[in-house]
Amino acid sequence: MTPPVRKKRSFQRRKVCVFCADSGMKIDYKDVKTLSHFVTERGKILPRRISGNCAKHQRKITIAIKRARNIALLPFTILSS
Amino acid sequence: MKRYETIFITHPELSEEDHAELEKKLRSTVATGKGDIIKLEDWGAKKLGYEIHKNSRGRYFLLDYLAAADLVRELERNLRLNDRILKFQTVKIDERTPSDAPKNSKEAPPAEKIAKISESPIPPEGSRTEDREKAKTEGGEGK
Repeated sequence: MTPPVRKKRSFQRRKVCVFCADSGMKIDYKDVKTLSHFVTERGKILPRRISGNCAKHQRKITIAIKRARNIALLPFTILSS
Repeated sequence: MKRYETIFITHPELSEEDHAELEKKLRSTVATGKGDIIKLEDWGAKKLGYEIHKNSRGRYFLLDYLAAADLVRELERNLRLNDRILKFQTVKIDERTPSDAPKNSKEAPPAEKIAKISESPIPPEGSRTEDREKAKTEGGEGK
């Protein structure tokens, strides 16, 4: 049994951390608009493999999201209706 | 003295007089504790991320100040005792973060830092959403 060969090997575009690409951008827990790009519709934090952030900025994003959640700027969860 | 910022959420149905009184009290607390208020921002009533004591809205305030640790403790104690305050959070502002703020002001460090902070809440819009979309699709393909 040979494993099914993938027809098109999807080319991997290099993911670049948006914060590294644009050094002017700051990670701030008060900045809900930016943070909301890094959470799912359910309010979960997007993993690095999806968001493409570097480790340093992912760490900062995680802390910022948790702070924003604590002060109710972001929800902990969003229940599906 | 370190620089802190405290966000607190007040009950949305509080009158302006109540807010004035609250502000007066905060200012006097900071003054007695030998702190220095840099700014007090009123963000207005916002929808909360989740309900707090059955309230789905709350009025946000941001207090930015210089204080010693004792004053922060005292301020937080006051906020905790006040039942008009739904929630609060104090964050020490990290001064190690490199500043991109223009250093044209010749004043003491606080003035420079204000510029840095006041810039940050405005999120750059536009390309960001695309980036995330792109990232999402890539993540899917990678599996």
